[in-house]
Amino acid sequence: MSEQFEPNIVAFLCNWCSYAGADLAGTSRTHYPANLKVIRVMCTGRINPLFVLNALQQGADGVLVSGCHPGDCHYMEGNMYARRRFRLMKDLLEYLGVDSRRFHMSWVSASEGGKWKEVVEKVVDEVSEIGPFEQFKREKINW
Amino acid sequence: MVDLETIRKKAKEIVSREDVKHLIGWRKGTFGYRVTPYWVEAPEDAEELVYSPLCNTNLATYLTLAEKLPLPKGQEPDRRKTALLVRGCDSRAVVQLLTERGVDREQVVLLGLPCRGVVDLRKLKDSYPEDNEVADAEWKEDKIVLNVSGEKKEIPREEVLDDHCLVCRYPNPVEADETLGEKVEPWAEESHPGVEELENASFDKRWDFWEKEFERCIRCYACRNACPMCYCEDCILDRLNPTWIYRSNNYSENTAFHIARAFHLVGRCVSCGACERVCPAGIPLGKINQKLVKEVREKYEFEPGTDPEGVPFQASYNPQDQEDFIL
Amino acid sequence: MSEKVLQKANWSSFVQALADARELWFPVKDGPIYKFAPYSGDVDAGLEEYAYSSVPPKAVVLPQTETMFLYQVGDKEISLPEEKKEKVVLGARPCDARAMDIVDRVFQWDEDDPYYLENRNKTAVIGLACNEPFVNCFCTSLDGSPGSTQGLDVLMVDLGDKYYLRSVTDKGSRILGDAESALEDASGEGSQAEEIIKEAEGKIKRSIDTEGIREKLEEGWEAPLWDEVSRACLGCGACTFLCPTCHCFDIQDEVEGFDGRRCRMWDSCMFGEYTLHTSGHNPRPSRKERTRNRISHKYRYYVEKFDKIACVGCGRCITSCPVNIDILDILSRVKEEL
Repeated sequence: MSEQFEPNIVAFLCNWCSYAGADLAGTSRTHYPANLKVIRVMCTGRINPLFVLNALQQGADGVLVSGCHPGDCHYMEGNMYARRRFRLMKDLLEYLGVDSRRFHMSWVSASEGGKWKEVVEKVVDEVSEIGPFEQFKREKINW
Repeated sequence: MVDLETIRKKAKEIVSREDVKHLIGWRKGTFGYRVTPYWVEAPEDAEELVYSPLCNTNLATYLTLAEKLPLPKGQEPDRRKTALLVRGCDSRAVVQLLTERGVDREQVVLLGLPCRGVVDLRKLKDSYPEDNEVADAEWKEDKIVLNVSGEKKEIPREEVLDDHCLVCRYPNPVEADETLGEKVEPWAEESHPGVEELENASFDKRWDFWEKEFERCIRCYACRNACPMCYCEDCILDRLNPTWIYRSNNYSENTAFHIARAFHLVGRCVSCGACERVCPAGIPLGKINQKLVKEVREKYEFEPGTDPEGVPFQASYNPQDQEDFIL
Repeated sequence: MSEKVLQKANWSSFVQALADARELWFPVKDGPIYKFAPYSGDVDAGLEEYAYSSVPPKAVVLPQTETMFLYQVGDKEISLPEEKKEKVVLGARPCDARAMDIVDRVFQWDEDDPYYLENRNKTAVIGLACNEPFVNCFCTSLDGSPGSTQGLDVLMVDLGDKYYLRSVTDKGSRILGDAESALEDASGEGSQAEEIIKEAEGKIKRSIDTEGIREKLEEGWEAPLWDEVSRACLGCGACTFLCPTCHCFDIQDEVEGFDGRRCRMWDSCMFGEYTLHTSGHNPRPSRKERTRNRISHKYRYYVEKFDKIACVGCGRCITSCPVNIDILDILSRVKEEL
């Protein structure tokens, strides 16, 4: 009986909204999958789309970027730039054959603990369906 | 179209101006179908200029390629202008450089030429192998006339034109101080070369295709250097500490290199096709960059290099940008 | 020295016999170009259409990326990668093999380079003489020939319906011995092969008289010629990567978590970063200095150190340069103008 595939998902969360939203989900003792490895950044506008690429190369099976709703960005417009960039990064990755279910972006505000749980569940479900990411993962250095 | 004598005469005039340092054009190469970029400094040198479907380098690269070296004490920098022969895609590259402040409009003199497309040497060499004799070519309605040692061959345009040129929508310069010759009617509408096929394929098929292509990459960086829009002195793809992309040559790093470079060209690529032409491994880079050009055009109605007063694409946003991909 | 003949009908058994004894490297069509790759078992793969490989077979002895050793971060021990296998390269052109000979000298200079030498000593090269030279060949100007045997273990000549093989070294004789079942003894084909090679030599169109170039390069260090010829250069590195005698490399560490490996990979003197010092100073700050350096390295410095010109006249740099910077053009200008 093979083990259920547990995906490794890297999540870039903006400090002011999504990170706080995830925190709220935690303090509310919400149960949700533990597959996410969270990296806190100050704003989604700070996230270089090459981080997504690097995460995939280093063995992530999926990547999630989550930030404030448009208009609510702590730095006014960071998430607007991010919206453009990640749209095109997603298109590029899909065009090259990376399944569209591997990369997600979401708007989760600081009070949306419930939404956070849903987002995580959805992302983990979708990535589990596809399986581990092997396409351009770096080869393990065989020590 | 435009007459070679007119170009040479105009070039002589421009180079004779006191405020112009040199004019960059093309001259016959050393063998076969080659043409090499040529710097005209003295008016007599203009006699060597050529202009034909074989001129397949984008000269706008040289605006940012020239190194600004420190000068000996007391020596004043040469602030004279650089003149450039530009066609449609070249002028779009210059305009894009202007919007990014990579180049100062006062520092360039643009001599516009209409273009009916350049030849893809790979396609030409398949049917008409290259020889030591230096060949010439010219446009003639819907044919390309190849002249090798006095023998003329007429070839239909569609057979040998570069893929980017076949779907070019900007054959006339979009920005020039002076344009020579008559305007050319654009011959293409909407399509982007080679993109539809992959768009309609499944994820697995797409990756199968790209994996084979990227494995062949030898990381020579010719594509990056030939691209007029890649002019960062400290390229992120070369960077150490942090090393974004390792320099070793394997499919993982090669794929990351191409994805990263394609992403950095989003909203900036002017579809000149130089990257695909210079690749020694024959990787179809046009397919990636044109896909992104298409996405940007369709989803954001933006075309790089068309508006000198414009704002760079990735440095701007529209509150109404689509969000259909966001959870 | 043994002379053999291989009927083209027996080609696949010959190839299989070679592949059984050693790791066989073969020119494979990959998209639009030929590259040397380990034999995949495709018995139909022949050398009929093969002109020359874009990437020279130096990739077999000096791989583009080579792991030197593996380590754990924080640990003092290193572990070596797997031992290299015995290899045979089938279908190298004589110029590529001469180039390997030229590069050998650098890696055995003050110190022996163990990585390169292990590869080189374990690799046998079967060369295929050129019946037709290519557009930019000029090997005859540099003491080479379409049938040169320098650096080769076996020379193969295409006689139309069969190949003539001649071993040049003991290793070559052993290899022919391994593939004995597919070969017959030669009887007079040797002279036919000589004819073909002579004919090919006559067909080479481009040339350069190398007399006096070394001195001229030394004298003309500050000449304006270098500005003119280097202006069009994009600094792309295609010429160095495809050159069979170029051998510059970079060494980088790659670390994943706590596992690390140190690799050697090809580098190019035409890249701006090649001579960049940590202080920020760059002794070759522009393409002019780098172009001047590349030509001088091949036609002056190497001559001064090893008494050999580090160019074999294969013409790949000329064919692959996107802006048609032609080394023969530069050299003839050096002779005339400096």
